[in-house]
Amino acid sequence: MQEAKLETEFDPTILAFCCNWCSYAGADLAGTSRFEYPTNVKVIRVMCSGRLDPTFVLSAFRWGADGVLITGCHPGDCHYVQGNYMMERRFGFLKEALGHLGIEPERLRLEWVSAGEGEKFAALVRDATQKIKLLGPNPLKKV
Amino acid sequence: MEEEEPRIGVFICHCGVNIGGVVNVPEVVKYARTLPNVTYAEDNIYTCSEAGLTSIKNAVKEHKLNRVIVASCTPRTHEPLFRSACREAGLNHYLFEMANIREQCSWVHAHQHERATEKAKGLVRMSTARAAWLEPQDEPELEIKDTALVIGGGISGMTSALSIANQGFKVYLVEKEPELGGNLRRLHKLYPTMQDTSEILDPAIKAVNANDKIETLTSTTVSDVTGYVGNFKVTLAKGTEKRDVDVGTIIVACGAVNYTPPKGLHQYGVFPHVVTQLEMDELLRNGKIEKPPERVVMIQCVGARKGEIRAVDLAGFPKSDTARLLSKILKAKKEEGWPYCSKICCMNAIKNAILVKDKFPETDVIILYGDVRVYKEYEDFYSRARECQVKFIKHIEEVTPEITQESEGKLTVTAYDALSGQEISLPCDWVVLSTPMIPHKEEVILARMLKIPISSDGFLMEAHVKLRPVDTQMDGIFLAGVASGPKDVPESIVSAKAAAARAGTLMANKKMRTEALTSVVDEEECFGCGLCEEICTYGAHYLENGKSHTIAALCRGCGACAAECPRRAIAMQHFTDDQVLAQIKAGLTEEL
Amino acid sequence: MTEKAVLVVGGGISGIQASLDLASRGYKVYIVEKSPSIGGRMAQLDKTFPTMDCSMCILAPKMIDCSHHHNVKLLTYSELKSVKGAPGNFAVTILRKPRYVDETKCTGCGNCADHCPVEVPNEFDENLGMRKAIYMPFPQAVPRAMTIDKANCIDCGLCQKMCQAGAVDLKQEPQETELNVGAIVVSVGFDLFDSSQIPTYGYGRHKNVVTALELERLLCASGPTGGHLIRPSDGKIPRKIAFIQCVGSRDRRFGTTYCSSICCKYSVKDAVLIKEHEPNTMVSIFYIDLRAFGKGFQEFVNRAKSEYGVRFVRSSPGEIMENPATRNLSIWYEDTVAGRIENQEFDLVVLCPALVPRSDAKELAKVLGAEVDEYGFFKAANILTSPVDTTVPGIFVCGYALGPKTGDIPDSIMQGSATAARVAETLERV
Repeated sequence: MQEAKLETEFDPTILAFCCNWCSYAGADLAGTSRFEYPTNVKVIRVMCSGRLDPTFVLSAFRWGADGVLITGCHPGDCHYVQGNYMMERRFGFLKEALGHLGIEPERLRLEWVSAGEGEKFAALVRDATQKIKLLGPNPLKKV
Repeated sequence: MEEEEPRIGVFICHCGVNIGGVVNVPEVVKYARTLPNVTYAEDNIYTCSEAGLTSIKNAVKEHKLNRVIVASCTPRTHEPLFRSACREAGLNHYLFEMANIREQCSWVHAHQHERATEKAKGLVRMSTARAAWLEPQDEPELEIKDTALVIGGGISGMTSALSIANQGFKVYLVEKEPELGGNLRRLHKLYPTMQDTSEILDPAIKAVNANDKIETLTSTTVSDVTGYVGNFKVTLAKGTEKRDVDVGTIIVACGAVNYTPPKGLHQYGVFPHVVTQLEMDELLRNGKIEKPPERVVMIQCVGARKGEIRAVDLAGFPKSDTARLLSKILKAKKEEGWPYCSKICCMNAIKNAILVKDKFPETDVIILYGDVRVYKEYEDFYSRARECQVKFIKHIEEVTPEITQESEGKLTVTAYDALSGQEISLPCDWVVLSTPMIPHKEEVILARMLKIPISSDGFLMEAHVKLRPVDTQMDGIFLAGVASGPKDVPESIVSAKAAAARAGTLMANKKMRTEALTSVVDEEECFGCGLCEEICTYGAHYLENGKSHTIAALCRGCGACAAECPRRAIAMQHFTDDQVLAQIKAGLTEEL
Repeated sequence: MTEKAVLVVGGGISGIQASLDLASRGYKVYIVEKSPSIGGRMAQLDKTFPTMDCSMCILAPKMIDCSHHHNVKLLTYSELKSVKGAPGNFAVTILRKPRYVDETKCTGCGNCADHCPVEVPNEFDENLGMRKAIYMPFPQAVPRAMTIDKANCIDCGLCQKMCQAGAVDLKQEPQETELNVGAIVVSVGFDLFDSSQIPTYGYGRHKNVVTALELERLLCASGPTGGHLIRPSDGKIPRKIAFIQCVGSRDRRFGTTYCSSICCKYSVKDAVLIKEHEPNTMVSIFYIDLRAFGKGFQEFVNRAKSEYGVRFVRSSPGEIMENPATRNLSIWYEDTVAGRIENQEFDLVVLCPALVPRSDAKELAKVLGAEVDEYGFFKAANILTSPVDTTVPGIFVCGYALGPKTGDIPDSIMQGSATAARVAETLERV
């Protein structure tokens, strides 16, 4: 695999928030199954996607994230019953807020990944990295 | 916030070659030493070994560390071990943090060594940034009630209930049907002893009924579960009647069902003499087959091992057949089914084959298979079948056997013999389909109620498929029997006893410590809007004198209140805003 | 009646699980282990199927729990000598063999071994690597202490001179300890069928014919080659590897007519591991029936075929011949599906032998008064309803000591926990 980065090729920095019970375990499963994916994503563990204060997402973009992935349990499966629903509500508002700030809303993604979906997590990382690459760097970085 | 400066120790694990073979660990150690607040850094071959743990403890003492970071595997397996090492070194274990550089780095970037190393550095940087904000915590103690709930009254549920009762605890045994017994009620004989199922079922039911510690509730289902380990509140429903019980542990023994082929698959539901193994078992038991059949053909793996294409070496077959074979294979690719092997169907088919032969010695019995998956000493059972003249034909599974009917009871099975490559035509009276064990549809509802995940094969998921096969991710909830996957009777019984042991250990200890991940309200900032009280699923917030308060025993630590609070007046212990924001910033920039 | 105490004979994963379950609920557990360290077979494995977890990584924390737990006493390098009594009240005699090292003083630094002049084959590495006469069987050993193999020691006393902790005690004598326990758990595991009993496979004569356990040691990072898969004869990397299933299993010649339940699974695992190490290796598995049942296993086999290109040949090979110049092996076999007799050359052949009872299992059974089955494994009181009870009340059995009923590691662990339940039930009533 070619390791050297081309000068012209944009290498995005992406943060992923994973909930302890489902998506973090799913990400671990991707590891034990040895599914390969790009190195652009770093994971931050929280207990529940419902923990994610909108400030976290906005700060991430302010500090230069090219993309933010939010992952949590499938609807109905949240370990804390409703946390993921609350996150979903915030997500709508966040997308709009990003738009107002001049950041493409597609840079923020919300996906449900269960503890048994290692392959899905790997596919998500590959897809997100690819799409954010096409979007180019975070527009705030030019400011 | 602690007054003293953070003194962080970083321990980077090679994990043999699991990490070290991809990530340049010494380089990461060097990097760690440059990070703010890092007093000490070293690498270990296996940090989880006795040597690694001793090294951590010694470093804490020698360098007066007040924060420890281990960069290694996922915290989901080894965090308790490292936390206990910290405690032994005199450090509150909430001052410990892990960076996952194996499952989420070296194992998924196996061919990108340089980039994996850079990512590992970033993950370590994020952990050190968070660690600087960590604070010591006290863990609340939970009482564990000495009563268990067993969901499911089949052989596994009854075994668990009996074991728990014999260990001295009270048990509620809940069964949705009017009778105890589960799937075994529908089975006639058990392999390899060929004894009647009633020989093991009846004594178990008798023992359950005779045991005064077991309260059996038939025609009853679980309609709601709230609470947490040691303190589950369960609502049971019998018809329209509801009843609440308090239990300390729960064992899920809800069983599984036999897959019924869709109508038309191998002409099931179309030709009357095409049946499943379960149906054949019933026919034999009820004497419904009066005239000795000339031939019975059994087909294995119907609806199992599907979904993946198996490579077929066509080189040895007559060229004239190749084109026809290929088109049949392509048709088979679309066949529905479950991808896994159901483990017990080979033995089950052999058992039924022997039963047929015992009853009708002149009948020709043929089993069409892909692999004969008998195992353990059951190999001898397989030999016995062959000695009874049961024939085993390995067929090309990719080509679905075709079944045609001349008249009722006069069928022909056409398949391809894998060893000769020839098409074979088998006239027979009965076709018996071996189908896998599949999860109940209702299992999803139960899983949601208990908040336990489901594996990709549809069965309930264990905490760790190798090391914790009867635990679930919820403390206090365990799995018994086929609820977690296909098993035969002795394996179900072993798993049921294992679950009973794990539940019994919890209840025997009467108390356990739980995570200190609760919410804390800053009363100065709080202006009493009541949003937290409204959204908390557990009722852990209440308002008094215009301010919100947390009931720590009820708080499960999800953090939704902290995220929703309009004044940012709620802090989540061990997942504070400062801690998470520090991690985010460190993940994006080198400036901290 | 004394406090509730339990004796666990055999410190492998199933014994460890039983011990931790019992210790966690307040019983005092004595683990008697014949070798210098607990860990058993799982410690020798590189990775476990189908999750490909590093075996030692998931085992080590449990081993350490045992050593730290205040209710667990490890009696390693020890053997059970006699048993008398009944459930609730067994009097057992344990022989503590002298390791000539004081466990309480030894720090495991290894200085002694560095200076020891005697090198002998290392049993833990299946005799593929060497160790000294004073040794630690593997780096993560528990207890973390050295042991002197007196049979090979030349009494030079260098180790004692070099030891800075003063832990070497050449005057140690065997000690007999009497214990009173309420129940006994047997978890002594298995041995491998001696593949040299099948002369046509050349094990023991052809250097590049190895057993699967030897392969595990070659693949393991802490093994004799540091995890580099190289051939025993010349250290070259093998490019063509064959696995042969059912060596001694399902075989009437040797009485081991049973299926050992795990060999198909571990060979697919090893094949995938090898392909991950060296993707250009050609790996062929010669099997009779591919017994890939169990959680996630069929899916794992599918990946082995489609993603990793592992080749499966339905055949029980006839003869393995060695080319004396290259030490390559040529296998004569009948491909039953293709219907042809073939000959193919390989650089390395891995035999998957039957798993048989430990050589001293019969002796132990006699000491306990327990029955063994026709294969020599401990007999369950009732294979359907009392699968972990031996024929002696109060004595239970788990793991491969029970025989191939144990499918794999999760089964061993479940059986370990199940014996804990049985012990608790027994001692509650006494």
